[in-house]
Amino acid sequence: MIEHWFWFGITVLVVAWYSTITVWIAIRGAMDIREMVANLDAEQAAEEVDESE
Amino acid sequence: MPHFSWSIDGSIIGFYLLVTMAAGVWLRKRVRRVEDFLVAGREMNLHLGIASLAATEFGVITCMYAAQAGYTQGFAGAFPGLCQAGGMFFVGWTGFCVKRLRDKGVMTLPELFENRFGQRVRWLSGVVIVMGGLLNMGVFLKIGGQFLVLVTGLDLSYLVLIMTILLGLVAIYTMLGGMLSVLVTDFLQFVVMSVGLLVVTVMVLVYVGWDQLVTTVETYHGTGGFLPFANPHTGWAFVTMQILMGISTTLTWQTVISRLLSAKDSKTGQQVFTRTSFFFVCRWIIPGLWGIAALAMLGWKPLDALSATDRAALPQEVAQKIEASPVGIPLDGLSLEEQAAIPAKVKASLNDTSLNAMPKWMSTFLPIGLMGLLLAAMLAADMSTDASYMLSWGSVIYNDILAPFRRKPWPHARAILWNRCIIALIGVYLFVFGLWYNMEGNVWSYLALTGSIYLSSMSALLIACCYWPRANNWGAFSAIVLGALVPVVHLVMEQSDSLKPLLHGFNKDHAGIAAFVASALGMVIGSLLKPKSSSVTSTPAQA
Repeated sequence: MIEHWFWFGITVLVVAWYSTITVWIAIRGAMDIREMVANLDAEQAAEEVDESE
Repeated sequence: MPHFSWSIDGSIIGFYLLVTMAAGVWLRKRVRRVEDFLVAGREMNLHLGIASLAATEFGVITCMYAAQAGYTQGFAGAFPGLCQAGGMFFVGWTGFCVKRLRDKGVMTLPELFENRFGQRVRWLSGVVIVMGGLLNMGVFLKIGGQFLVLVTGLDLSYLVLIMTILLGLVAIYTMLGGMLSVLVTDFLQFVVMSVGLLVVTVMVLVYVGWDQLVTTVETYHGTGGFLPFANPHTGWAFVTMQILMGISTTLTWQTVISRLLSAKDSKTGQQVFTRTSFFFVCRWIIPGLWGIAALAMLGWKPLDALSATDRAALPQEVAQKIEASPVGIPLDGLSLEEQAAIPAKVKASLNDTSLNAMPKWMSTFLPIGLMGLLLAAMLAADMSTDASYMLSWGSVIYNDILAPFRRKPWPHARAILWNRCIIALIGVYLFVFGLWYNMEGNVWSYLALTGSIYLSSMSALLIACCYWPRANNWGAFSAIVLGALVPVVHLVMEQSDSLKPLLHGFNKDHAGIAAFVASALGMVIGSLLKPKSSSVTSTPAQA
């Protein structure tokens, strides 16, 4: 019967972990996208300044 | 009667597709260099990396084969997920190979090999990676379309139209924005997909119930449904092969590696691996539960997959044997003569029973509204996987296979144009292969076998490249050839009626393990045979 409990435990863990990580990633991932786009824009702006000089 | 409403469920899907396309196209102007297109300018941070890796590695195909594993093997069918999670956590935690790989600043695995084993090994590695990857990916589109058609209750004649629309949408934003578009759409797709997967799983657990799931597995599979070692169709060879696959896919699977190579630094890349690792348990358990629930509700009735005419054409004795067959293996009790007498179309329908069980059940289980959520989730899963796979294999074609044709670096505009053309060609290949290829049997076995054509040799090359100073191009060539030869020879023998008896129970798992052993031996013996003075280089890849 221990194998039943093993899979039960895994199932509970999967639902709990996945729910938590979905909310966490939805918030922090959006912040990462903003940062990535800002970095790319800053690089582009710096390159354009270099080219104009 | 499927519970699909075009007005409610269709609107949910339409809205999702509109937002995804807008996000994908939005980033196209930020692609200025080929590095932006292939590795997002190496600006990917941790949480975006987790979302992207998880979304890429869960497609409709994943859902279908993991549900098929749950249906045919019970809870034990989720064992590969535990191995993949363990492998990814180990590699991420220790930095085994991947730290050196990321610190080298390469864009693909073969690019790393060139420094150590020479240009020819880079080119051959690229060819083997693309061959294994494209064969692997070839079935994605058709199975994705099959799921959507079954769940919505549409006629199968709409399959080609659905495949074309899906592929067209994915190709547009991947070609325009490359990895930048893929990362952002992956993020949106991760959120939509996860909400859909979780809601449907909770509904399955509430309405079918844990007790009924356990009783179903006990009834149909016995102890083997809980322990893979006790299952006659899995056993020790299966377990060993899954462990090898778990580690080797983390080390060398191009779509996984491309997330590491897009990360800001090796530490971020390693964290993406450790923190995404448990998702690989989820990606097998969640559809696996759906598959078990389908078995609980529909039972194992392979003859129901046939039309009344096809069923009537089967001899009574053959029909009885099929009805009494073990779950997932409808032709198991038939002699070779009896199997030969069954038309190919009927055999294909029988073999597809276990694959189609979950979507068929879902089409009647979920209410209107939730059906739209499930379909949006599955579209999200499929699009993120297709986009990443097209970009990943395309990057190897551009970066490694075409490398000898670039005497000096191409201007960025030209390089990006070539990458876009390669992605378009991969799209055409996927469409043609998806229509032409008729897959039989277990989907996961097909994927594992096509993957093992290169997983074994690339793992041997990467480990030797990073940690063995004596490794050289003789060893690399031997590892690549032997690693591809073993699965290909096994596949040929399996398909040939005259050669098949020679296998004596030497199954796909044994062949996969043999490929890993042969590659490792090829690397060691080949490297030792080459005289020291003629080695290309003898410095392991250092950080």
